[in-house]
Amino acid sequence: MSEDYNPDKVIDSREAACPGPLMDLIGQVKSAESGEVLELKTTDEGSKNDVPDWLDKAGHELLEVVDQGDYWSIYVEKS
Amino acid sequence: MEGFAIVLASEELEKIQAVSIISSVAAASEIPIEIFVTMNGFRPFEKEVVDNMDFEGGRAAKAMMEAEDVDVPLFTEQLEQAKSLGPLSIHACEMTMDLMGKEMDDFVDLFDGKLGVSGFLNAAEDKQVIFV
Repeated sequence: MSEDYNPDKVIDSREAACPGPLMDLIGQVKSAESGEVLELKTTDEGSKNDVPDWLDKAGHELLEVVDQGDYWSIYVEKS
Repeated sequence: MEGFAIVLASEELEKIQAVSIISSVAAASEIPIEIFVTMNGFRPFEKEVVDNMDFEGGRAAKAMMEAEDVDVPLFTEQLEQAKSLGPLSIHACEMTMDLMGKEMDDFVDLFDGKLGVSGFLNAAEDKQVIFV
């Protein structure tokens, strides 16, 4: 759950379609400090799958994807 | 990765939207993108067309414009955001602008400048070219 990760930044991209959530995340990751944890909230299933692919390539860590019922929380740690 | 050079010659919203999505994520991931807008590709960038959402397009374009439960950002917003995040340039084909009697002021403020075919070929020299 979110309290376990205590994110430094929460990005609420719910209702936005591809690539909105990813673009929001990239923007925030760029301005984050190394080691900071970000939570991306999304209702877009495509983004839920695509964000981990981007993280893999960009070299940031995917901590967990949590199903919150009507949206997903994707926890990311900036490398 | 040397990036992509995209020739955008279509006025269909779904095609420009796909170009915008791919380019935006690429540029934000530090993959260089050069978009060369030419021929019919200019129409969706006209201020009047954007203001009135008067786009041409097929099934996906209609679905996008009618979507109520999902928020699909228009390509103009996506490209603007992408330009602030990474290496993305948008060039206007000088020949088409002359042909259609258009000025830079007729278009939304996304273009980096005008370019001729030699200029585009130089920009595309080390890139994979995608024609849309």
